[in-house]
Formats: sequence, structure tokens, C-alpha cells
Amino acid sequence: MIRAGFSPGVFSHSLCVLLAAAASVVAGHSQVRFNRDIRPIVSETCFRCHGPDKNSRMAGMRLDIREQALKPTADGTIPIVPGDPDKSGIIQRIFATNARVMPPPYIHKELTPAQKQTMREWVAEGAKYEGHWAYQPVERVTPPGYSTNAAADPIDAFIQDRLAHEGLKPSPEADRRTLLRRVTLDLTGLPPTLEETAAFLSDTSPDAYEKVVDRLLASPRYAEEQAIHWLDAVRYADTCGFHGDNAFPAWPYRDYVLHAFRDNKPFDEFTREQLAGDLLPNPTIEQRVASAYNRLNRTSAEGGIQPKEYLAKYAADRVRTTAAVWMGSTLGCAECHDHKFDPFLSRDFYSMKAFFADIKETGLVPDRGPKAWGSVLAIPTPEQAERQEQLKAQLAEARDRLAAYMKTLDAGRDAWEKQLLARFQAGELAWQMQRPISARSAHGAVLKIYNDEPVDFTNYDGSNLTSSRGPGNGLVIASGPNPDTEIYTVTFRPGAGIWKQLEIQIVQDESLPGIRVARGADRLVISEVEAEAAGRKVRFSSAVANTNTSNAPPEFPPIAAIDGDLKTGWAMATYNDVSKAALALRMAEPLRTEADTVVTVRLRQESEFRRATAGRFRIALSKSADSWPSAEPGKEIPERVSKGLAKADKDRDDADRKAIEEHFQWDSPEALPERVAVEKLELASALLDTAIERTLVTEATEPTETRILPRGNWMDETGAVVAPAIPVFLGTLHPAGPRATRLDLANWLVSDTNPLTARVYVNRLWRQFFGTGITKALDDFGSQGEWPTHPELLDWLASEFMRPQWKAGASEGPTRPWDMRHMVRAIVLSQTYRQSSMPRPELEERDPYNRLLARQTRFRVDAENVRDIALAASGLLVEKFGGPSVKPYQPDGYLAPLNFPKREYSASHGGDLYRRGIYTFWQRTFLHPSLAAFDAPTREECTINRINSNTPLQALVLLNDPIYVEAARVFAQNLLRQPGTLDARIDRAFERTVTRPATAAEHRTLDDLYRKSLAEYRQSPAEAEALIHSGEAPVPALTALKGQPAEFAALTVVTRAILNMHETITRN
Amino acid sequence: MDPHDNACACCRRTFLGRGIAGLGLLGLNALLDPRLFAASSKGAINPLHFPPKAKRVIFLYQAGGPSHLETFDYKPKLAEMNGQPMPDSLTKGQQIAQLQGKKLVCFGPQHKFRKFGKSGQEICELFPRIGSVADDLCIVRSMWTEQINHDPAHTIMNTGSIIAGRPSMGSWIFYGLGADAEDLPGFVVLLSSGRGGQMQPLSARQWSAGLLPSRFQGVKLNSMGDPVLYIKNPRGVSAALQRDSVDAVNALNREQSAALQDPEIQTRIAQYEMAFRMQTSVPSLVDMSNEPKEVLDLYGAKPGDGSFASNCLLARRLAERGVRFIQLYHRDWDHHSAVKVNVELKAEEVDRPTAALITDLKRRGMLDDTLVIWGGEFGRTPMSQGGDGRDHHIKGFSFVLAGGGIKGGISYGTTDDFGYAAQDNPVSVHDFHATMLYLLGVDHKRLAVKFQGLDVRLTGISGDVVKDILA
Repeated sequence: MIRAGFSPGVFSHSLCVLLAAAASVVAGHSQVRFNRDIRPIVSETCFRCHGPDKNSRMAGMRLDIREQALKPTADGTIPIVPGDPDKSGIIQRIFATNARVMPPPYIHKELTPAQKQTMREWVAEGAKYEGHWAYQPVERVTPPGYSTNAAADPIDAFIQDRLAHEGLKPSPEADRRTLLRRVTLDLTGLPPTLEETAAFLSDTSPDAYEKVVDRLLASPRYAEEQAIHWLDAVRYADTCGFHGDNAFPAWPYRDYVLHAFRDNKPFDEFTREQLAGDLLPNPTIEQRVASAYNRLNRTSAEGGIQPKEYLAKYAADRVRTTAAVWMGSTLGCAECHDHKFDPFLSRDFYSMKAFFADIKETGLVPDRGPKAWGSVLAIPTPEQAERQEQLKAQLAEARDRLAAYMKTLDAGRDAWEKQLLARFQAGELAWQMQRPISARSAHGAVLKIYNDEPVDFTNYDGSNLTSSRGPGNGLVIASGPNPDTEIYTVTFRPGAGIWKQLEIQIVQDESLPGIRVARGADRLVISEVEAEAAGRKVRFSSAVANTNTSNAPPEFPPIAAIDGDLKTGWAMATYNDVSKAALALRMAEPLRTEADTVVTVRLRQESEFRRATAGRFRIALSKSADSWPSAEPGKEIPERVSKGLAKADKDRDDADRKAIEEHFQWDSPEALPERVAVEKLELASALLDTAIERTLVTEATEPTETRILPRGNWMDETGAVVAPAIPVFLGTLHPAGPRATRLDLANWLVSDTNPLTARVYVNRLWRQFFGTGITKALDDFGSQGEWPTHPELLDWLASEFMRPQWKAGASEGPTRPWDMRHMVRAIVLSQTYRQSSMPRPELEERDPYNRLLARQTRFRVDAENVRDIALAASGLLVEKFGGPSVKPYQPDGYLAPLNFPKREYSASHGGDLYRRGIYTFWQRTFLHPSLAAFDAPTREECTINRINSNTPLQALVLLNDPIYVEAARVFAQNLLRQPGTLDARIDRAFERTVTRPATAAEHRTLDDLYRKSLAEYRQSPAEAEALIHSGEAPVPALTALKGQPAEFAALTVVTRAILNMHETITRN
Repeated sequence: MDPHDNACACCRRTFLGRGIAGLGLLGLNALLDPRLFAASSKGAINPLHFPPKAKRVIFLYQAGGPSHLETFDYKPKLAEMNGQPMPDSLTKGQQIAQLQGKKLVCFGPQHKFRKFGKSGQEICELFPRIGSVADDLCIVRSMWTEQINHDPAHTIMNTGSIIAGRPSMGSWIFYGLGADAEDLPGFVVLLSSGRGGQMQPLSARQWSAGLLPSRFQGVKLNSMGDPVLYIKNPRGVSAALQRDSVDAVNALNREQSAALQDPEIQTRIAQYEMAFRMQTSVPSLVDMSNEPKEVLDLYGAKPGDGSFASNCLLARRLAERGVRFIQLYHRDWDHHSAVKVNVELKAEEVDRPTAALITDLKRRGMLDDTLVIWGGEFGRTPMSQGGDGRDHHIKGFSFVLAGGGIKGGISYGTTDDFGYAAQDNPVSVHDFHATMLYLLGVDHKRLAVKFQGLDVRLTGISGDVVKDILA
């Protein structure tokens, strides 16, 4: 609520009515009760200065504990004299009209006259305190009226009892179509199919609804829907969230969550596995994957971070998240000071943090290279594991063979050194630049040749940008259209000669994005180099590039450019040395050319990476097999080697020797087959390695020391050392070992002695099915939260969650403690859930926020489901349970603000374009814009309660995001497959999206739209063609649809309007 | 009410909750406003706490951490000490980024400074055009922040917190003040980059609405592709058909609305209208072809090139159209090496457009009620990094303010002789926020939303208005 000052004069009559009505909901009971009536007032206005935090306490007065509040303060005032408001200091002060008024004006917390009166009455009635409701043990309350009607639904009993007190009646059950759509959306996130609707409408048996619920709960879609809420809470995402925001391997954890809901894993087990799966005895892979929970916090690989600072950030994140998810508590406040409103001490924050002190991690979490992401578990399939073993053995063998062979060559080593140096110095290794006579592209890029024409050059060597201007000297520059893949074909006449190597030089330029070598921001990939001369193919035997660094990803080696496989390639990415890059290919047999022989070279750039195509390049030939790739004369031997060779043996250092040794190995033609065999196996291993799925996991190590950080300052090491412990006021753990562990914490969270977890979880569930929790503050069960509207119901549900006793519906099988599905079932089978959501005038006055639930609620579905509904209704949805995250269409350039590395978004292809929203790749710093527009959280932090907003950007998404246009097109296409009139098709489309036929007025509106569209598309057939070719989904032959493009397009306009209806994305 | 309530919508009067995007109690004013369904709306604070000096903000955010020592904070003593060890008394126990464990050596200013204007403000001579408007500028030389790495430093500069999920300053201001634009978002973000330095990444978190409803988020205006995401009609849908389609959708929704009296549907209808208007207004906004050549030359702008210069001109156009908060990120200020050359490159990019914006606003009579801010997430060390660069630095750096109730021609605050730590009149990030809000007529202590039981504010629990720089 906004706290800004306002003048009461601006309120209109209707607002006053509204406020009065809101108040009446609360004030139904006569006696003032501390928790319900007083705590919200004193917590909001008094505790800041007179509450738990001793450092901000004023006048020595403490009001959150009764004994303290009855004691005189230093100046002799007695804050509260039970039964005597006039003698009570706080009552005097809140009614004061002078400067002594409390709360003081500067804190901007004015009490209303009604609140003051309530305070007064409370003191007059004896100033009884109650322990805060959320911290009291969960008590199972017998539902009202159970002595007479034990068969009644307990949920309905609680709700209807309260309604009866308020003189209100519940609403009738929703009509069958509404009910079916509601429960199907709530339980699966998708609308019912036509068949499901027909089946339910024709099923007259009394348990028809329960059968539907059974069916939905058994569906994997139920897991997909439930997982969304859990993933928000545990801040699951696919990227690390800080700085470069690179992708980290986490989706197996998402699948763990999916499986848990699908298999109805008990919540206590679910809790233990996530917090401490690694600490369980002989943990299974699944349990270790679950422990990724502790690693989902944002991590940074930004250079120059101080590890300690970031370790403090990560740990604080875990405490905040764990406290919010399981305890509904805002423990984050206690990082810097004792909690202002709740009995959490700063010490409690650090004691909680200490539970996580055993997690093996570093402050700077590398986002690339072999140490990327710290503790990572590889999860190979059995076939992959077997293949890995094979390759390992083969590689060892091949390396041995190469080493053994190299030994046999040692005798010739001295001669090699001398000759090579001499030939190098004589210029015999020189690359001869070729001047192309033609350069063509396959997919639209414009290639221009610069031989003698001057060109501006820029080169960036990692720290310095240099510019020059000079003749192109055979340079080819690509410009114009920038397709995802390209094939460049270049021809030239080298003149008469015998050639042994071909070189591709990749030339940098400032105008190119990313690392300035490719036309896309991400990388350059040469998937294959092919060459011909005089009608004969030129075969290559080996490849080498001058771009490799220790960080270069091993799955893109030079040899991949000549392995005949278009899926593999030689790549240059951020961590290659791309300044003056060159790739040299040795020919299997020397190439003889006559004076007029034309050589053709094809650069096939057809990898899965978008626009990984060269911006500028040259081609060179060498008559020597010994020329090392180089784009500059005089570097045909690596610099380190040429300098080393020039030295006498005794003057060489280890680095010189190593470089010469490696170069000798590369330059020994006799060892070529052995060397290539090794390279090929290395490539195969690297490719396999990237194919193996991985996930972050928790690995325990010796716990680090945890100190209280005064004011949260990580540089201050004066605070006391603390051991792992739960917040003091909630009790003490009795760990099995000397030090309490994460497992002890998990066990306590799901134990009888913790009053919070069950209440917090069922309250969150309640929100899913009614739009608001029983207490609306899902993430704050403290005193600043909200007194529950139905506390006994909340406790009944919590108790039922921990120890089920009630059979939810006739067909429910056995239940177990912490049975998540049982709770969902109990809620959706209640009559309270099944009520109509139609407005009732008397309720608008009495209960504007629908907290009493005399009817159901209407609200927009979650972001993922907005997408799911359009895909399902249209017939585009591809259902596949779990698996790696997918990339829907996304506007070009959306990720341009990212760097390290810069990246080019590659949308998925085929079925992965049409997956449910939950599987969307979750880029924390740039969440997919359509999900973000519908309030999906970035998951940088734990999110318990999504916002539900209504914005123009949402309209733009539904109207113009290509996936929604494609859905409309495929929707129309599928409607056209069925014979029928336009009206019948519109009814069918309505049935599929909003589970009802269209009304007469709706028909008129859409008929009219269809006619206008049809007229326009008949005028402009090209427009019609463009619309019906939206998206990648195949367009069937129009004969199959018995329609013309104009009709198809006009129907697409109609289905697009239907997908844009408010009702389509609303559950009611 | 807080902005998180999901399901209080199904009745006529629950605009409170979600209808008008969960504005909370004061959002009720908007409810009663006849222009409710126009994009322009009064904000949550109505009336304002103070008479406002500024109506809007243009923040020229120099991302990467510009060196104060080569821009606005001249340190002759540091020049004298060039190559000498930094005094241990200054640096001991202080946070450091990439220079961890390195020897700390003084590194003198790499460029000369000059006095500009009647006020004689000292500014690096690489910025003569900014110097030419020196008498309009207030140079704050005593800024400090608490986060030493880019990502968290941006986050605290924009949201006042390092915990992700808090609203950014533009969202706060849009929320508090509303916007005058009928067909544009109230908070617009533009990005540009240039040469020199590492292009540090930026996160959408920096302009996020965080825990406020998403309609208050900054809308990024792109210089390439669609200016706003999904602003263009799909291929094969003409403007006329788009109009017909929106009309049909709204007719279908009105049909429902009549039966259900659901204010959410009314809002949805209004948002489709707004979206359609944006589809026309945004392309005409970014089309600068009707700007006179003289104006293009003033800024050095080439329409469509996405440069800082073009964005400055675009910022003026946005300001004219009633956008409340306009934030221009210009990147590549992260000069760990070759600071001398790199600052020259940056000066080429920003000197002219910055001065042009101030001049242009002034001659249009808009500078008086437009607060222009120039600065980044932190400064750079007086110590050298690698002999020619400077590392991140948080203890002292410079901000430049102009217009919108700011006293021109003055400097405020100092750093010590080394340019290391803010010395006189230190200004924290929260003080800056408090001052900016004050100029807009808002008491930073009273602009708050409830989140997890707390009154969350842009300035957290601290922040004081810097009164001495107010006109």
C-alpha cells in the first residue's frame, strides 16, 4: 500500500462505501482480539521503535511483549495499564493532539480514529496479548457443524460457517462448461479439448466431476502446472543472473521437480532432497540432482569481484529463499539488524546461514572452461557412459601410438630444426595471397572482392584497436542480407605451381558484432571447407589454426572443418585469439595447377549457430607443407618456435622446448596419420562430452566459519562465530552429529515442531485455486502479514497436510503424510471451489475482495499458460514432458545488451518451438519478452506471489508476437480441415478456447471481421500469402483445405481475434 | 492492498487490486479520473508532497564507470605524485576490484583541464562543448557508492538496493507521478555504445518495475529492428485490418464486460486501444526525418544510427511528448587499460550531444522543468592498473546535473587531493535519489510500497536531500 500522504477530501462516496465494506468483513466479531485487531496496528505503527530490534528501540519502551509493556519506562510512564485506558501511556499518546502525539508525524504512520478506538477498547478489555498466530502449534479444529453432519466437506464447513455469520449465502455451482474449463486450467494449465468437454457434458453420473479431477490429477500436465509455482519460489532459471548471465546447467533440477509432482512425492521427502539430497545415505542421482536447489542462486563471474563479498551474497540469498519458501518469513531483514517486527534476531539469520556453510563453492563462479559452475554432476545415459569409456581407451591408445612414433623420429630432429629455420628465413614457407575472380553466396549475402581497391582495416588484439588503410589484396567482404547460414564460393587462378596447403584468413573488422569476425554476435563456424581444381576435388589431410587458446572450447577444432560432417565445424568464439586468424589445411596430395587453372573454394557455414558466417576473409596457398597458419608475412612459424629455433639449445627455456616439441610433432609428415587419429578421437570425445547432460549439484565440504556480520558488512569480522541453528524463538535442534546439518534443517522444517511449513504451503496452494491466500501475505507470516480470513480452516488444511485423515472424494486412494496431491484434490472437490464466479451485487458491497468466498474468483492465467492456451487451442502445442529448455521465437537484438560473450539468439526448430511455456529457456537478465510481459518473474530472487497486471505490452504480444500469429494461422488451418460454415467454425474455435459456443452478438462481430478481411485479402493476395505462411509450421496444400488463400487468411484474422479475447486468457 | 494481490478482480470496484494495475489506495484517484483509460494518468502521489521543480528526468547514464579524473575532477596533486605509491592511509582496508593484491601506484590525470564559462567550472579539455554550457551545470564531485562491480553497482544506482526485484528509479517515478504521454510509455530506455573500453553487459533488471506492476517498467526503445518489441503488425496484416481486429477484440470484450461488470475487462479494452495508438505513435516518434538539419547537426545525430547523439535527440522528442523518465545508457566506459585514449574516444561520442541536449532544451524553454543527469555507476581509481588504465572505484566520483531546479554554474563537494574519497559534502546514491525525487515534488520517505511487510522505498532507510544544489 502506498504510504504517501493524501487528503481525505479526494475520496468519493463510493470509495467510502468500499472502505466501510472492507472493514465490516473484519469486524464481524464483537470482542477485540489481539492477533486479529491489535497486532496489525501496533506492528505497522509502533514496533519500528518499540519492538524487537533493540538497536532502534526508543524510550526503553517495548510493546511486543506484554510483561514489558506493563512495566514503567524510565520516565515513569506505564505504557499499558490493563483495564484502564486513561492511565495507559500509549492510549494517552495516541489520542494526544499536541506534539506528544504517537506515532510521531515524521514517520508518516497516522492512526485512524477507528484504530485508536480499537486500541482503547482493547486496553479497556484487559489488554490481552496472543502469541502470533503463525508461531502457535498447528491445531486440528473440528469443522463447524461436524457433530451433526460429519459427511460434509470440511472446507465448505469452514467457509459456509463464516458466510452464515456474515448473513451471506454461497453461490450456486458454476455451469458445467465453466467448471470444466476452470478445473482443467487450474490443474493442467490448458483448456479442455472438445472431446473432454463433450464427455463431461454428457456424463450425468453423480461422480462425473470427480472423474474429471481424477483424470486431470493423473496427467503429467498437472505436474507441469504445479511446477511453475515451485520454480518461481526456488528461483529456478537457466542462467547465472549476474553480469554475463551465461547459461548454467540446471534443467535436470526442473525435471526433478516435474517428476516429484507427477509421482506425488511426499513434501517432506521433497524438502529433504532439495535442501540436503547430497547428505542422504548413498544418495541416488535423483537426490543429488534435487540438491541443485542450493545452487540456483545468482552467481557472478565478473572480473575483479572479491570472493568473500559474493560468498556473503550467495549465502544471504539461500537464507532469504529458504525462509520464504518453507517458513513464509522475511528473514532477509535480519541480515543487517534484528527484525523490526518479528522475533527474528540478526543472530538467527547467520545461524541459518551456517547450515549452508558446508556447500563447496567459490565466490567467483567460473562461467566457462573446465571449472565452469563448480560442482556439476554429469548424467550420461548408459549408452553415453559406455561410449565414453570406449573413447577414453581408444584415445589413450592413439596417444601412445603417436608418442611411440614420435620417438622413432627423434633421430631426424636436429636436421629438421636447421632446415625448417633455413627455409623459413629464405621465405620458402610464405603464403601466397590469392586474388579471387569471383565470389558468390548461396543465401543472399553480397560478396565483394577487393584486390587493388583500398579498404579500411581495424584490428583488436584484446587491448588495442588499430586502424589502417590499404589495398584489399584479395579480401572478400560480405554485406547486405544476413542469413542464418551461408555458403561462400570463391574462384581464383593461382597460376602454374605445385601447392601443398590452402589457408583461410579471417579478417577482423570493427563493424562486425561480437568478436568482430562473424556477421552474427555469437561466433564464426566454418562447418566445412571444400575445394576443386580442374574438375577434381582437392582432399585435405589435416587442419590447424592459429586461434587456439587454453580456453577455446574443444568441440570446435580445426579438423572439424574437413571431417565431412556439416554438423561439426571449426569455430572462433569469444575465448579464441581472433586477431589475425588463419586456418591452414594440408592437402592429401599436392595440387598441380597450370597457368590458367581455376581453383574453387567453398566455405560452408551451415552450423546450428545463427549468422556464424564470415564477414571478411582471404584465401592463400602455400607451396610448403610446413607453413604454419598466419595472416602476416614472417609468421609462418609460430613466433615462440622461430625464436626458440634461433637460439642455441642451451639457451632455450622450457617454454621454448615445449613449443618446438609440439611444432615438430605437427610438422612431421610421417606422424600425420597418428596425429589425425588422435585429433579425430579428441573431437569425438568433446562432442560426446557436450551431449552429456549436466546439472549443478551441492557438494558438501568442511564447513567454513560463519560470523555475524555487523550491519551485514562482509568486511567486518568482529561479529561472533555462530553454529547452525534454527531461529531461537522457534526452538532448538537436537542434531545427531556435533554440528547441525542441512539435513537437520530439512527434517525440522517438515517436523511437527515447526508451526510454519505446512501452513505456508497450503496457503500458497489456496491462492492457486482462489486467487488469494487465506492470508494474502503468502511470503510474510510475520506480524506485518495479514491475519488469516479463516484461521481455523488454514490450520485444518495444515494439519490435514501433515497427517491426512480425511478422504477427499469417493475415489481417492490411500494418502500419506505431506501428500501434495491430496491437498489439491481436497480443495478442488469442495463446493467452495465449484461455485460460480458470477458477480453478485450484494457481495460487491460486503466483500469487494471476495475474501469470504461466497463465489469463485476470476483472474488472468499465468504467463506460461497464456502461451499454452494459444498453442493448445490452435493445435500447435507439442507436448513432451521434461528435457532441456527450449527457445521460442524471440525478437532479434533482444539480447544485444549482454556481453561476455555477446550472443546471437538461436530459436529452436521443429517441435521445440511449440512447447509449453514452462520449458522456455529462462534468461534471468532478459527473460523472454512475452513471458515477461505477462508478469513471469525473472527468478533472480525467490518469487512467491506473482504480480498480475494488465498492460498495453500484453496486447502487443498477443497481437503481434509471431508465435501468436502462427497459432492463429494453424488454428484457422485446422478449422478449415473440417467441413462447415463460418459460423460452425467460429463456434468450434470458441469451444476450443473458452469452452462454449459463440453468442449471436459474437458471431455478428466476427462475421463482420471475416467479411472485411476477405474483401481485403481478395484485393491483396500477396498479403494473404504472407499471413498464411506465418511461422515455421508447415502450410498444407490449399486443396487439402478446400479453400483459397484469401479465405484462409480471413479466417486467420478471426482466430487471431479469438485468441486475443480477455476471456481466452482468463480463468473464471 | 499491495500490488501483489491476484484475485480481487471480479467486482465492479476492485480497481484497487489489479484493474488499474494495483496502484494501492492512492491509485483510487486514478480510478475516479475521467481519463482513467487513457495512458496518461496521475500517479500514486496526488497531490505531490512539494511543489515540483522538474516535471521529467533525462538520465544520460554513462555505463562502465567513467573516470572522474579525466572528466570532471581535476587533481594536480595526483599529477605530482604520478608513479609514487598511493598513501597507505587512504587505501588500507578499502574495497578494491581488479587491483586486489597489486601494488597501488598514483596515476596522474591523463588530460588537461580548463576553466569554462563565467562560473569558471573546471572540466577536462576533451569536453569543450559541455564546457560551453558550464554555467548551467552543477558538478557534484563527491558521489560515492557501495558496490564495486558493474552489475550490483548498476542495480543499487537504479533501484537503491542490491537485492534483485526492486523497482528501478524510472518505475518509481512513473508510479509516483504518472505520465503525460497519451500514447507512449511513461518510462523509456535507450541504449548506445561506441568505441574503446569493454562493453559491459546490462541487465533488464536495471529498468525493471520489480515489485511494482509491470506497466511501470522501462520500455526499451530499440534503434535497430522494431523500435518497441512487437510494435509492428505481423506480415500480411495491414494497418486497416489491425484496426478492424482491435475493434473486433474490443467488441467481443465489451460483450463480456456488459454481462460481468469486470473492471479487468474494461482495462483490457483500454490497453488494446493504447497498444494500437502506440503502433502509430512510436514509429513517428523515432522517425527523425522531419528534424531540421540544423538540429541534427547540433547533436551530431544521424537518424537511425543508434548512436548516443541520436538517442539524445530522441530523448528530447520523448520529453516533448510527455514521457516522465528517459534513461540513455551509453556504454564502453570501463577503462581498465589505455584510459587516456579511451576517454578521448568517449569524449568524441558524448561531448557534443550532451551539450546539444542542454542547449536544445534550454532554447525550447524545457530545461527549467527537465532534470538532466550525467553520470555512471562508479568512478575509477587514482591508482593505475597495468600502467595505463584505471580500476573500478566507489569512494568518490562525479555526477553532473542540469536544469529542473538545479543551481547552474556551481560545483558541489570534493574528493581528497588524490581524487580517492569524497571529502567535503559526500553524496551517497541514496542522497542523489532523495534529491532527484525532491525536485520532482516527492518526499522520498513517503514514496513507498508494501513488500514482505516492509515499506520499500527507492532510498531504502537513508538518503538526504542535497539542499545546497537546489536553485
